[in-house]
Amino acid sequence: MPSVISISKLAKHYQVPEREAGLKAAAKGLFKRTYKTVKAVDGISFEIQPGEVVGFLGPNGAGKTTTLKMLSGLLHPTSGGASVLDYEPAKRPHDYLRQITLVMGNRNQLSWDLPALDSFDLQRAIYGIPTEDFKRTRDEFIELLDLKELVQKPVRNLSLGERMKMEIVGALLHKPKILFLDEPTLGLDVTMQKRIRTFVAEYNKRYGATVLLTSHYMADVEALCKRVIVIHHGQLLFDGDLAALVEKFSAFKTVGFTLDNPATDLSQYGDVVSIDGSRVTMRVPKEKASAVTSRLLNDLAVDDLTVEAAPIEDVIESVFSVKKEAME
Amino acid sequence: MQGFKLAFNYLRIGIMNEFQYRANLYIQILQTFIALATGLIGLNLVFNQVTELGGWNKAELLAVMGVFTVTGGFIRAAIQPNMERLMDEIREGTLDYALTKPADAQLLVSVREFRLWQMVDVVTGVIVMIVALSQLDWFVDFWSVLGFFSALFLGAIMIYCFWLIITSTAFWFVRVNEIANLFEGLYAAGRWPVDIYPNWLRYGLTFLVPVAFAVTVPAQALTGRLTLQTWFGALALTVTLFIVARTVWKVGVKNYSGASA
Repeated sequence: MPSVISISKLAKHYQVPEREAGLKAAAKGLFKRTYKTVKAVDGISFEIQPGEVVGFLGPNGAGKTTTLKMLSGLLHPTSGGASVLDYEPAKRPHDYLRQITLVMGNRNQLSWDLPALDSFDLQRAIYGIPTEDFKRTRDEFIELLDLKELVQKPVRNLSLGERMKMEIVGALLHKPKILFLDEPTLGLDVTMQKRIRTFVAEYNKRYGATVLLTSHYMADVEALCKRVIVIHHGQLLFDGDLAALVEKFSAFKTVGFTLDNPATDLSQYGDVVSIDGSRVTMRVPKEKASAVTSRLLNDLAVDDLTVEAAPIEDVIESVFSVKKEAME
Repeated sequence: MQGFKLAFNYLRIGIMNEFQYRANLYIQILQTFIALATGLIGLNLVFNQVTELGGWNKAELLAVMGVFTVTGGFIRAAIQPNMERLMDEIREGTLDYALTKPADAQLLVSVREFRLWQMVDVVTGVIVMIVALSQLDWFVDFWSVLGFFSALFLGAIMIYCFWLIITSTAFWFVRVNEIANLFEGLYAAGRWPVDIYPNWLRYGLTFLVPVAFAVTVPAQALTGRLTLQTWFGALALTVTLFIVARTVWKVGVKNYSGASA
């Protein structure tokens, strides 16, 4: 299948004025400025197939938002190429914009003082959606996200989570084929995050849309994305299955067990992460996990022993530290 | 065509928005009343001393005041709020949403806001104009009506272009909000026909900030002074300003990098 998103050696470099702190330096800056090149995105390449949901991960400032902005046509790449649905995003052709959407978790586009329904109407006008289609899609989304009681209330009276659900409805009314979601669950509580996640999954399933998602909440990524792309300092670190990422980069396993006497010295087995009553959680190097568990079972009166892969947060963290060492 | 539809939809939203803030209507009525009263008092003070000002008599100057009030109301209802929102969005990087829509971005940012209650000024200005015209025993003929409305329209476009050019500089200079205050000050000069000002100021108010075309020229049409030459001048300047504004806007958007998150 031909890919819907294809970027090759994409780069965005910024020239930012640079000066030392202090009044003297500021005054000097009025006449002569020195610039520093910041490589926000520095030559990344990947392909995404239709219908894929891909997690786009990286620490703050890694270049995720810059990449999404280039893909949605807001930023012109410094070099390299991007092609989405066979369009060149930077040219922002209307036929292209009609098929994509950009959702940013920290920004609103719905009218603050009006009920969301009125703002939805505006989206219909902007995208030129036929009235019948519009009503059907709108009601379907309202139903899916359980918003019926809220659409008539002015947006400013809604909670953060409710507002985000409305934002997502507004952003999808034109049934885009490509979704760029930048931290869509930012600041939301766990239930609300889950709700939005389920909705994105459902939308992907019903309409076969392609989703590129950034999130700081690993639960979002685990629930939605089979594939992840990890970038750091504008460069691609990993592109592949989430499971492979865990396999490749997780150096530890989490071993949990119940012990009658938790005061026992356990340091010879591994690092104790937490002791909660009689429940002990330990971190054990991956390759030693089986040896340690058998020793634990032999030496001590342990019960309910579990061995789990390290949490995805830890894995991502180790990806960054491993690569950092490699680069230095 | 899509442009009209879009503008209409935003207008509808804008009006609905304004209905939520009824108190603003009363404040606006009060403001308009105060502005009208001070304007009329000023006019009377002047005409206690003289019978004519720069070739304009009292009724004619009342017509100028009417046009000044109408145009000012329209600017504050439809042009200024859009441009101020645009300035904010450029500074905060929230222009992204407008730029990812399948519509002409310039059109979109120019029609998103509408302050209905400012139309109180427009209505009041129309009444002032009618009073002035009744004192002038104006002879209504097709050409003067056409001249008046077309001059008013061209003037509004020119003011819009002026605002868009200034606002677009925010793409480079980021903070340009003080310009709004500067414009208010300069526009106030339009209360009088620009003929009464010294040359340097007259040229400034004609070509730099097109207040002359927005107020004096339509008033000329009302009082039978509009020459075909002036009208064509207005047309030429409108077209030029529009092209310049569109170019500056386009280059600005290209330059826009968003306050990256």
